[in-house]
Amino acid sequence: MRVLGESAGLLRQAGADPERLAALEAAIVAGIGLPARPRADVHVHLGRDRDGHALSPDELLDDMAQWQVDRAVVFALNDPGRDGDFADANRQVMAAAAAAPDRLVPFCRVAPQRGALAAIEAAAAAGARGLKLHPVAQGFAPESPAATACVAAATAHGWPVLVHAGFGARPLADALASVLEAVPDARLVLAHGARGDARAVRARCADHPGIWFDTSLAALPDLIGLPPGRLLFGSDRPYGDYATALQLVGLAARIAGWSDDELAGVLAGNLASLLGEDDAGA
Amino acid sequence: MRAPDAVRLVAALGAVEIAIVRRDPMTGPLLAQASRAADGLTVGPWLAAAADLARASDLWDDASSARARRKAVQVLCRAAAHAVQAQVLGIAATAPPTEGTQ
Repeated sequence: MRVLGESAGLLRQAGADPERLAALEAAIVAGIGLPARPRADVHVHLGRDRDGHALSPDELLDDMAQWQVDRAVVFALNDPGRDGDFADANRQVMAAAAAAPDRLVPFCRVAPQRGALAAIEAAAAAGARGLKLHPVAQGFAPESPAATACVAAATAHGWPVLVHAGFGARPLADALASVLEAVPDARLVLAHGARGDARAVRARCADHPGIWFDTSLAALPDLIGLPPGRLLFGSDRPYGDYATALQLVGLAARIAGWSDDELAGVLAGNLASLLGEDDAGA
Repeated sequence: MRAPDAVRLVAALGAVEIAIVRRDPMTGPLLAQASRAADGLTVGPWLAAAADLARASDLWDDASSARARRKAVQVLCRAAAHAVQAQVLGIAATAPPTEGTQ
């Protein structure tokens, strides 16, 4: 049993009362009015991070079953390995997705300055369907030539690119505009509702057809100002949890007055569009 | 929830959020303060539970159990922050269970 995203056994070991916490967790989403299914999560990390966060494929699949999440986009935590190219971490993500192909959609993660283009090609051959870039963790500018080359390579494969845009992010609006000018067909998903630079991004490029946003650990005032047709539900597991991720989307829908169709799109349909599945009739 | 209560809590929870991320020793006192500010309000039970969890002396241990407790504190604070922000933005979020269900 997991409570608030954590093992009930570990919480009990820590002196907490899991039953009390479970009652509080139930109230987080009670009355929010979210449709039960379908739900798809665009932002999940697998593996073990340098900072101690960890999530195994089995733990994720259990979480998804508990919260009625049908599919999740998965990519590596910050575990670049000895060579810094995420080779092992990407292999583990691809293997997890291959073992649950109806549930997990694998993206590859790279460090643009460390063998990234080769890593992208290796991941493509292994079944990757997107790219994850973390400019803060990997220490690069999103508009740098190396990062732009990664976006171009991903776009050539027909992949979207999920970009960290939360805590610690540099000013993003001009950087994103630069990337989109260099790679006009790119589709960039700004994580965390572009929380790190939300107002500037919204003013500069929110209406660009290549810009999308995920809701993971986003700020509610940011989400209600973004177009629901470009929003993708995300949890940021294991940093985030499903209860508050769903609470956030439910509250945003009510405050912003999203239609039922718009909410269904945020929860799942927009991801299918991003992945090109609606074009394929999937 | 009156507007002054909501604004006070938004500010308090913003400070708590950063303190947790930075593993700041002020986390416990800041959270206790936020919990007192929420006493009697709809988000009070979430923050009371978070403050109880944060009172443990080994909150910043690297042990798996301590990490789980930290994450639970974050979730409860995030739930409260969302609910309070929603209140400021114009709707009332669902209230946590009352004493009888805890």
